[in-house]
Amino acid sequence: MRVGRAAVAWVAVELAAGALLFAQTPVKRAPQVPPARVAPAVPAAPQSAPSGITIGIAEGLWINRDFDGANNAFKALVAEHPDNADYRVRWGRLFFERFNPAEAAKLYLEALEIDPKNARANLGLADVLADEFNPKALEAADKALELDPKLYQANEIKARMALEDDDQKKAAIEADKALAIEPTALQAIAVHAAMDLLADKDSKWLAQIGNRAKGYETLGHFFVINRRYEEGIEYYRKALAADPALWSARSQMAVNLMRLGRPDEARKDLELSYENHYRDAATVNSLSLMDTYKDYITYSTPTTILKLHKKEAEVLRPYFEAEMKRAMDVYEKKYQFKLKTPIQVEVYPNHEDFAVRTMGLPGLGALGVTFNDVIAMDSPSGRPPGQFHWASTLWHELSHVYILTLTNYRVPRWFTEGVAVHEETATTPDWGDRITPDIIAAIRDKKLLPVADIDRGFVHPKFPAQVIVSYFQAGKICDYIAEHWGEGKLLDMAHQFAKNRATADVIRDELKMEPEAFDIAFLASVEKETAVTVKNFKDWTSGLGELNKLARLPETSPDDLITRGRALEFFYPDYVEAGNPYLVVAKACLAKKDKACALEEYSKYSKQSGRDADSIKKYAELLKESGKTQQAAAALERLNAVNPMDQDLHEKLGALYLAANNAPLAAREFGVVVALKPLDVAGSHYNLAMAYKAQGLEDKAREEALIALEAAPDYRPAQKLLLLLSGEGLKR
Amino acid sequence: MAVAAEVGRRLKHRLKGLCAVGLLLAAVPARATTYFLTVAGLGGEPDYETRFTLLANDTDKILRGSGGADRVIETLKGADATRAKLTASLTKIASEAKAQDVFVLMMIGHGTFDGTEYKFNMPGPDISGTELAAALNKIPASRQLVVDMTSASGGVATALKHEGRTVITATKSGAEKNATLFGRFWVEALRDPAADTDKNEIVSALEAFRYAQTKTAAFFTEQKRLATEHAQLAPEDQQRAAAFPLVRYGNAAVTVTDPAKRALVAKKEEIENKIDALKYQKDLMAPEDYKKQIAVFLLELARTQEAIEK
Repeated sequence: MRVGRAAVAWVAVELAAGALLFAQTPVKRAPQVPPARVAPAVPAAPQSAPSGITIGIAEGLWINRDFDGANNAFKALVAEHPDNADYRVRWGRLFFERFNPAEAAKLYLEALEIDPKNARANLGLADVLADEFNPKALEAADKALELDPKLYQANEIKARMALEDDDQKKAAIEADKALAIEPTALQAIAVHAAMDLLADKDSKWLAQIGNRAKGYETLGHFFVINRRYEEGIEYYRKALAADPALWSARSQMAVNLMRLGRPDEARKDLELSYENHYRDAATVNSLSLMDTYKDYITYSTPTTILKLHKKEAEVLRPYFEAEMKRAMDVYEKKYQFKLKTPIQVEVYPNHEDFAVRTMGLPGLGALGVTFNDVIAMDSPSGRPPGQFHWASTLWHELSHVYILTLTNYRVPRWFTEGVAVHEETATTPDWGDRITPDIIAAIRDKKLLPVADIDRGFVHPKFPAQVIVSYFQAGKICDYIAEHWGEGKLLDMAHQFAKNRATADVIRDELKMEPEAFDIAFLASVEKETAVTVKNFKDWTSGLGELNKLARLPETSPDDLITRGRALEFFYPDYVEAGNPYLVVAKACLAKKDKACALEEYSKYSKQSGRDADSIKKYAELLKESGKTQQAAAALERLNAVNPMDQDLHEKLGALYLAANNAPLAAREFGVVVALKPLDVAGSHYNLAMAYKAQGLEDKAREEALIALEAAPDYRPAQKLLLLLSGEGLKR
Repeated sequence: MAVAAEVGRRLKHRLKGLCAVGLLLAAVPARATTYFLTVAGLGGEPDYETRFTLLANDTDKILRGSGGADRVIETLKGADATRAKLTASLTKIASEAKAQDVFVLMMIGHGTFDGTEYKFNMPGPDISGTELAAALNKIPASRQLVVDMTSASGGVATALKHEGRTVITATKSGAEKNATLFGRFWVEALRDPAADTDKNEIVSALEAFRYAQTKTAAFFTEQKRLATEHAQLAPEDQQRAAAFPLVRYGNAAVTVTDPAKRALVAKKEEIENKIDALKYQKDLMAPEDYKKQIAVFLLELARTQEAIEK
């Protein structure tokens, strides 16, 4: 999975009592309340409202799947017994089961306000938070256990979270604690079974799951979050064999079938779940997404399947196909194997459609995600221009396909993400994300994790930037290994992970050092590399503000801006975001008409992965003025990897390629302008005609010239071209 | 479209689907004067002040660089953009202009609408839509264009409605109150050859409107923001806007009026008419037939133009 540059987009709802919940992805179809199968665990006090409604009635309606009735009964009970915390806890549980975790959490918090020692309210809160991969779930579970040490479900939550972090030791301890209290505790048994099965061992715990569907559903969950989707689907099938009416398992099975590019199978089970009133966000949104598949065009080659939305397919296709081919050629050589099946890439112009593919997985704010050999990603049009380097995301995700296949899907998250981040810049150094201020702060505050524990930074981040910091760290670890042991060592490690070996063992065997020693050496390297930035971070922060303030004042001398700006560049060379010194200095250089100085700044900015379109266009213009047409084209070509929807970019780049006698690329660029359906129909087709003519494709050139003239019959340059192509005009 | 712009000059022709346009353009009497009045209102804060003044300056520069002797151009901005000075300018134009003349008012800045009355924000007292309409109605020029690029400008459309007057507003109603982007793209249209979509070397009011409207909408789409403005030009005014030249390039009109080439010009117009007629038939024809026939006409048109230029 690939996350955004600026920060991980935690969509958070700060509740009154301070609990943090992730908001739900908007549900596109109207959800209804599905069945609940579990009888109330807490016997409620037999109070009755004046209306005659009792907790028994509410629970009875719930058991009988009259969820609206149950909801109304709880509402009446709470209104008539505002001091009864237990009613709110049960009502919260109903909401949680009926796909409304935010409302559930609210009720749990209200219950805790009434009764701060209500263990089940804390348990409910832990459930909601754990479901969202929120590490605060641990606090709530601990609190529940403190208030009621026999509440083994809290141990089960802790066990599950530990295993999600790949902390097997802790997971086993918590599962055992639960089993000590309740020997048939299903989730604890399932956690034990999952640990064995994920390690490719037979498990005695499977027998204890027996015919209990929920246990297999949990196994499905663990296989899925470990990117072993096929096996996850098989466990969901086992859950359904045990209980065909376990709609949550059916829905999850279908969602994962959809992820693996099998929509026909997925639709059948999603619709069955939906018809049976299981209408959580994943079910409803997945169905809605599949309804839009008819709007996508599929382009297939023997090795690739590319799915693009019809409204932008012609614009994106040349760039995506070229980049897929380039990346796959590199990876085949690097990883020394060819994929046996085509890679499928799905590109979503609507970010919410893409987000449906990642629902229920840890880590939000993703740009791309890989499911075996299927990649789903945002389209460049899915985000504001300049914010999204789609090509490096594509390389990142394609790397996952190779590493996951190579390791038979038995690879820790940090390694596959680390290699993917490493690959973003390994082939094209001026791509990829640079060190953000969040990461600098994490290095300064010693928040990087030991290599053996880094996975938890991805799954249960303890601070908002930890996911992005973990990506950076994982990438840096791979850079470090490639630098000190060679690129081949990453391949050797991947082969080790394929044997389902733990990170610590792979580090020991392949790098010949203890993980702790590796951490010391790696951190020393990172700290050395970032020492100047970390040391001067405070000065840089204030200096950047001052620089931008001065830049806005007309009386500031350009030389002053250049001196200050360059000092700031030295402090933090990776910073190319808003207000970066490179562009301030470049503008100051231009103000004093020093083109060489401006060129130098733009060049530095470009090499550091700077992506501001106007600035790169200015850089290209200066290069062109200096007679460096090919370099100007190269500078603009970088922007195609960021925003291929930019018509002006294609016009400029097409003209540069034409001037540089690179007619095929000129035709590509002008062809894309036509595909963007510009206002200037005549001009765009005329330019394409000129590019075709330069390629010697006279029939195509004539056709384009005629289209230009159809839009503007008196368009003189197009008329001259038509005459020329008809053998009547002057030869040029 | 940068490349096309660099390649060569363009000649005049009629807009697709608007057969009367060429005739209307030609029908503007040779001695008619076009009065351009541009006014940049109160910014309220330095950033807007700078922006509005820049847009007004750019407009002034473009108009002065692309017209001819038959143009009277006045621009009010900064402290000069008061209600009194605007009214004085309109009164002066009303006293000078004749029925055959053309008048263009372009308003840049902020506007407000209280549900009843629109006001254009100016240093000192604002001018209301009613007051503006009264002043405009005194101008005898039979062809008028008002481009109100302010926030809430949709609120003035009804008040300004008048025989012979085309009104373009940056917003669809007075309820769209955010500062607008339309003005920026309108001015861009006046200097970007890509706005001249029919390649007749004239940017008409309709072309400028479509350019600015499209660019404004694209901005909101690209930035993933809810559009807070929707520019308006009444459908019944579009044909008139198409015939409203704002900026001219080259010397397109010269060939049309050259007596020595009269027969060729007549032939050219005949072919153009055939092309227009064929385009109307396009949906009813087999695509291949259409392609063949239009290719013949377009080639013939190109030959004729070549002969005219010899």
